[in-house]
Amino acid sequence: MWKYEKKLEYPVRIKKTDPTAAKIIISQFGGPDGELGAATRYLSQRYTAPTPEVKAILNDIGTEELSHMEMVCAVIYQLTRSLTPKEIKESGFDVYFVDHTNGLYPVSASGDPFSAAIFQSTGDPIADLYEDMGADATIT
Amino acid sequence: MNERSKLLKKVQMYSFAVTDASLFLDTHPDCAEALAFFNKYRKLYDEAKAEFERQYGPLEICSEQNAARWEWTDGPFPWELSAN
Repeated sequence: MWKYEKKLEYPVRIKKTDPTAAKIIISQFGGPDGELGAATRYLSQRYTAPTPEVKAILNDIGTEELSHMEMVCAVIYQLTRSLTPKEIKESGFDVYFVDHTNGLYPVSASGDPFSAAIFQSTGDPIADLYEDMGADATIT
Repeated sequence: MNERSKLLKKVQMYSFAVTDASLFLDTHPDCAEALAFFNKYRKLYDEAKAEFERQYGPLEICSEQNAARWEWTDGPFPWELSAN
């Protein structure tokens, strides 16, 4: 199970809104190499991990990815607050806004909704490890 | 930066050290140096967290701050500008 800590892992304090940037950054939430995919990847792969150390690291990295997702979402949330209709239209944020308004929806910058098709969980630790390195490139 | 943000930053800093050390320990469970680092920052984290919670409310469900009144639902929530 999980317990929530009511804080971000690192502060997010955005003073100036920027819907154009939000349109790009949202890929780090719901895109093919985003944090939701990372969390789901590790938390799915951990069950069949071969050793206690690998079980522990997949468990704890998968958990930490959720806190990365929370920070990315906080960035998007703060970048898009109190926009005027003119700002929404001129920034190109209108194509997102028409379906989701200011709601946080896991989607790539090019508009594909989050999909588990972006990762693998094979039950084979070597195959999974290669998949992790390809996706995250920081699992050292 | 206001006093709340300063204190929260301290909690976040120690919390990050604890998290990072724990990930290292997962694959190096017998590393005494890493465990000493973890213990040092866990203590600092616990102290900073308790100080923050006394002044600004609970960071966890089981915090003492929830005992007399359910402060958990008080804002701001972490993703809001005023919480940072």
